[in-house]
Amino acid sequence: MAIHNLGYRHCEGRRQSHRTRWLVLTENGIRRAWASAWLRRMLFFAWLPSVLMGFMIFLYEQSESTDDPFTRAFIQMGTALLEPGGQGNMQASGMLGYLQQKNEHPGETRHLFWSSLLLTLFRRSQPFILIPMLGVITPPMISQDIRSRAFLLYFSRPLSRTQYVVGKLATVIFYVLLITLMPALMLFCTGLLLSPDLSVLSSTGDLPLRILLASLLIAIPAASLSLMLSSLTTESRFAGFAWFAIWIFGAFTAGILSNSTWGDSTSPLKYLSLFEVFSEVAGSILDPQLASSRVEEPVSILAVLTAVSLAVLFRRISAPMQV
Amino acid sequence: MPSLIELQNLTKKYASFTALDSINLSIAPGVTGLLGPNGAGKSTLIKVLLGLVSTTSGSGTILGLPLGESTQELRSQIGYMPEDDCYINGLTGIESMQLAARLCGMDRTEALRRGHEILDFCGTRQERYRPVDTYSTGMRQKLRFALALVHDPKLLILDEPTTGLDPEERDAMLNRIRILSRDFSISVLLCTHILPDVQAVCEHVLILGAGTVRVSGSMQDLCRVQTPRFHLRVSGAASEFSERLQSRGMVVLETTADSISVLGQPEEHSTWIWQTAAELGQIVRSVTPAANSLEKLFLEAVQETEHGHS
Repeated sequence: MAIHNLGYRHCEGRRQSHRTRWLVLTENGIRRAWASAWLRRMLFFAWLPSVLMGFMIFLYEQSESTDDPFTRAFIQMGTALLEPGGQGNMQASGMLGYLQQKNEHPGETRHLFWSSLLLTLFRRSQPFILIPMLGVITPPMISQDIRSRAFLLYFSRPLSRTQYVVGKLATVIFYVLLITLMPALMLFCTGLLLSPDLSVLSSTGDLPLRILLASLLIAIPAASLSLMLSSLTTESRFAGFAWFAIWIFGAFTAGILSNSTWGDSTSPLKYLSLFEVFSEVAGSILDPQLASSRVEEPVSILAVLTAVSLAVLFRRISAPMQV
Repeated sequence: MPSLIELQNLTKKYASFTALDSINLSIAPGVTGLLGPNGAGKSTLIKVLLGLVSTTSGSGTILGLPLGESTQELRSQIGYMPEDDCYINGLTGIESMQLAARLCGMDRTEALRRGHEILDFCGTRQERYRPVDTYSTGMRQKLRFALALVHDPKLLILDEPTTGLDPEERDAMLNRIRILSRDFSISVLLCTHILPDVQAVCEHVLILGAGTVRVSGSMQDLCRVQTPRFHLRVSGAASEFSERLQSRGMVVLETTADSISVLGQPEEHSTWIWQTAAELGQIVRSVTPAANSLEKLFLEAVQETEHGHS
């Protein structure tokens, strides 16, 4: 017997509460996902747009502080040109409207400008990182547990099915928030640091809450859907394929049906595309002035999507125990 | 002594199929062998005990806790080693141990320490640092045993623990079960098809058939024969020895080339046996009281089940 082998001994240590067991799964999931070099690369690229937008905030604040009217107009035009604006909202947030509003209501432009930047971040850049990122992280998360019959190891311990699902969801939500909530909050903080004084908080104080709400409304349905797909198969590549297919084919179908067939971009058929659903929700929350439709429709779609995904997920993880 | 497991009229149905049919049983602390042919309801019984499936009707207690109510508390006191080849993909052996211990409430450092301690006890060496999906069958079997033990359970449910082990490892595994039961008062429910394993370590036996309890009791009682008899092995011609015993009023049941089966207890006839051996100049090689074999009990239970079905 090896010298360090003490044989069996009773374990007298204090045990932690049952309620925090899901955190163990989350921590383990985050660590395992972090091992992927692809994920680390994607996270790096996910933060680049916010760096660019930080530069735009710098330009904006420079234009606010300069007294020379020519320099001011030049920086304002440059800022407005860099600011891409939301699709279909150029009249509201575009260069002319922006400059006009700036001259008429100098105090209100900061909120409009910051929220436009955040909206661009949520609508135009982060979805292109979110989709491949979840395509890398989530497909093996449950499918591999089904294949390796790990449920018997998990559920023979003091861990409920709800805690298991919450633990897995929290892992995915953590990474989604890392590319939505965190860059957006950093952008907000950058704006605060570059602004002349803290009085800007009075005009922009609602933005952190809006950022949090928009991030959660993207993270929870996306995490639920991706985990549901993972639970439907024992082969993670099929789950990954289904995840990408939903986004790509949804966007194509919605584009064809809502524009070509009916020629109406406000048709509800555009919600066949998850891009549109998430985009509308983010737009409505971050700046209601820029929203092109009511928020109830896309939020309802996300609520139904989440509920169905979670129902299927619970059913799938309960199934191996019933035989 | 309070019962470890007490079940009353427990029934479990899957749609129209009855997996457990009004089971009444009481299992005492110690090592209990759970036997039965395929489809007898062993796996369902284990899942019911772990709270993995709900019962259709009936009640019971395990370790004094009511069945189906304090599931989390119950699972923290039960260690389960599944028969299936299950593991957490992507983790090394020691990481699996740490995760399992943390899921039972240990903090990170304590979980790691405990994981190493139990892997040492189970004879797992440097392979603990390798991913589990690269393990051989025997290594995985030992890891599953270690995972069941990591949180210091009061009841250990082992489903086919020696399957896939070489003879040396099998002996080591049975020895570990003996140590846990004898020295640490951990009760064990051993579910297996390998009857010699049950005979080697179990104090009690429970045989299921078609969802009902066919045989239940202590190993000693079950293996005791109804009519006492003993087997006598001698060095010379057994037939001559047998005739001499019969002439002295002993009832000989069967005689082979070198052994004689005699009715009664050996102590009652020891004087005549030694005297006959001295007279014939033969050596008595062994005197063994006859016992029922577990295999015979098992086969009787299975046949009873089959007749019940037909």
